[in-house]
Amino acid sequence: MATQRFEGLSRRLSRAGIAPRHVKRLIAELETHFVDLVAELRSTGLSQEESQSQAAVRLGTEDVLAANIIGRPELQAWARQWPWLAFVLLPLLILSVQFVLSMAAAAGVFSFSTRVLGLTPVHAGVVLWVMGALQAYGMWIAPILTAGAACFLALRRGAPVAWPIVGCALIALVGASTNASFEWSPAVPRGAMSGGIGFNLPDIGTAKALRVTLTLFSVLAPFLWLRAKRTGRSKPARFKAS
Amino acid sequence: MAQTASLMSGVPELLVLRLLSAREMYGYELARAIRESTQEAISLGEGVLYPALHALESRGFVRARRRTVSGRTRVYYAITPKGNRRLEELSGEWHRIAGAVRAILAET
Repeated sequence: MATQRFEGLSRRLSRAGIAPRHVKRLIAELETHFVDLVAELRSTGLSQEESQSQAAVRLGTEDVLAANIIGRPELQAWARQWPWLAFVLLPLLILSVQFVLSMAAAAGVFSFSTRVLGLTPVHAGVVLWVMGALQAYGMWIAPILTAGAACFLALRRGAPVAWPIVGCALIALVGASTNASFEWSPAVPRGAMSGGIGFNLPDIGTAKALRVTLTLFSVLAPFLWLRAKRTGRSKPARFKAS
Repeated sequence: MAQTASLMSGVPELLVLRLLSAREMYGYELARAIRESTQEAISLGEGVLYPALHALESRGFVRARRRTVSGRTRVYYAITPKGNRRLEELSGEWHRIAGAVRAILAET
């Protein structure tokens, strides 16, 4: 954990997208180096205050250190090095996996209920409720959670705003293009389930437009608000000698 | 000043690799060794060594490990075989450039 001396630098590095493992170790190393420098200067007869002041000069100002660290692309977090992967490709993949898993879970619940528990459409119990919840998760909740996770990562890594917006738009569009249906009634005693991702551009229909809007609004509004708030208060702190 | 900075580009990497080729060291030791070996002719902001070391580690030229000595945990850096090859390459380049500059200075 950064002590007060390097707190400002630590925050600047994190916001600039430096990988957390590098930030943590760099700050610890700078702290130790500072202590060593103070001890060395103290041994020459300088006072504690003078030693700390000279040690801070020898170590370099916060601006110089920050510029040197931020200027090295190797030290950036992976989300900053490959934003298309972190904010577009990976979330889309995760969304697809969540949709497939929710459908597989629904199939498993239905199969277990009919084959093991012997439930019928007349005595369906909670089966219909569970199936509905899984369907809602795959179609409505998973896109919001996935886009939210991408935006959270973007906030943590201080990523340029364009990538999470592009990612959210694609997640919202793909998420709204998923469809799933389940029917189980005396007329269809064996049950019928279907699911998939279907694009019907540019006419995406009212229901899909609603899903796109819901995902975009519920994720992007808080993301942009938090981002503006953070940007507003990210004035660099001055490096203190004592 | 900008020219000096441009002349210095790549020097920290060369110095660090050269010093680490002798033995493993931690950051403060390295800074002191640079100061002493160059008789303070080369003065780097000592904190600037760390991003250079982390970058060298990311590129596989040095390896870091934590060691506790006298109750204090320090990160020691050691050169890797890949780092040794990089050192040979950088030394060669440096000698070529230094030779060329010496030759021109001798002519004038």
